[in-house]
Amino acid sequence: MSNTRVDPVTRAAVDWMLRLESGQACPSERQVFKAWLAESPEHMAAWQRVAGVLKTPLADLQAVERRSPGQLHAAREALLASPSAARKKALQGGLLLLLLGVGAAGMVDRVTPLRGMMADQHTATGERRTIELADGSRLTLNARSAVDIQFSAGQRRVQLREGQLQVDVAADPQRPFVVATAQGQVKALGTRFMVRQGADESLASVQQHSVQLDTLNGLQRTIDAGQAVSFTASQIDPQTPTARSQADWLEGRVELHDEPLSALVEALRPYQTGVLRISPEAARVRVFGVFSLDNTPQTLSTLAQTLPIKVTHYGPWLTLIDVRG
Amino acid sequence: MSSPLDPKALLANLYHDNHAWLRGWLSRQVRCPQDAADLAQDTFLRAFDAQQLERIEQPRAYLSTVARRLLCSLWRRRKLEQAYLDQLADMPQGYAPSAEDIALVREAIEAIDHALEGLPSRVRRAFLLNRLESMPQQAIATLLGVSLATVERDLRRAYLHCLSQTQESL
Repeated sequence: MSNTRVDPVTRAAVDWMLRLESGQACPSERQVFKAWLAESPEHMAAWQRVAGVLKTPLADLQAVERRSPGQLHAAREALLASPSAARKKALQGGLLLLLLGVGAAGMVDRVTPLRGMMADQHTATGERRTIELADGSRLTLNARSAVDIQFSAGQRRVQLREGQLQVDVAADPQRPFVVATAQGQVKALGTRFMVRQGADESLASVQQHSVQLDTLNGLQRTIDAGQAVSFTASQIDPQTPTARSQADWLEGRVELHDEPLSALVEALRPYQTGVLRISPEAARVRVFGVFSLDNTPQTLSTLAQTLPIKVTHYGPWLTLIDVRG
Repeated sequence: MSSPLDPKALLANLYHDNHAWLRGWLSRQVRCPQDAADLAQDTFLRAFDAQQLERIEQPRAYLSTVARRLLCSLWRRRKLEQAYLDQLADMPQGYAPSAEDIALVREAIEAIDHALEGLPSRVRRAFLLNRLESMPQQAIATLLGVSLATVERDLRRAYLHCLSQTQESL
């Protein structure tokens, strides 16, 4: 391999670089490193070569990132999408990431949800927004949600592409108000209700009056105030109203009554830029209480004090929740 | 008077005999006449830089090899650029960088791509997470589902890969 062409002193400098930035170097090692650097000009030159690897392009990218956030992610994804990464290896890497539940675009997705960017209205991670629609209805999007709004003479239609919304419908008997998901549509009969687009099912819950649900495969049901159902194209399942079906998120909180910790984690995910992973054991821990959506680290550290769980942060990118062993 | 081995005269001959043919060959590859003209020009420049003109026995085989290499690198740059522009298109409008910054990013990712060429994707990913986004080795290991030792090995490989190129070009 071409690497053998690198001389031993430069190799030693690479070892130092990796050791020093591993986060495991102790003060005495740093002393040894300083001594090594001072030992000969050759060592210093090798160190500068190693520290200078791609220095200019990396510094340029970081400078651009400070001016317009998101560029580092864009650059990284472009570089990883480029053809020089061997196709087979890329597939293996992709598979690995899929197993971890982190798509290749996953990291970017967490800051600026990609699908949402093409939609009429979208919210970023951690952002909630209320939109006043042309007819006077009020549409509130939960974090990481996206909708297309299509109003016509005969119908007011909102296509929920991802995430969760709550709508206060302004009465207009001539034009029904419809929220469509990938599995079906919910038609308001003058009311307040919530719709959520999940990975492969939707959820509708009603806070006031009632709505009519039509699934893609033609199932129908009327949902009344206080009720919640989850639905696919060919199935409708009534749900006991829980954190999932309530609209607490409008106030930036989530209330749980003896529900699994996984339900809380699911509610927190759209508010968390990094990856939030929970072990199956921790997911089953039962939770009571009211939690803030807007400060995930705080919420998790409060939980860690009262529940038998352990929360480990790896920088802002990754948080692991496990049971205390 | 130039001797028969004068590189300039050799290049002039090579150019005269093969330029039209090379442009034709390239036009069929790239469809855009401007690109074909640029690539043909670059191909002759490379041939001249190689300074072994007198040793070329089959000019057209030689020229098409050089041209093919340039073509690959052009396609690669275009794909890289497209991948970056796709990423930009996916961002909210408020985050759009200035034209100067876009140019800066394009140059930077081209340089990085060139330096990392030939490395497997996990090594590239680990290196980019570490150097570009300052992610600690332990976090990379957890994210990629590999051991800390593997991340360290990957990073070492990427460093040595980049360093072996700079030593080569010295």
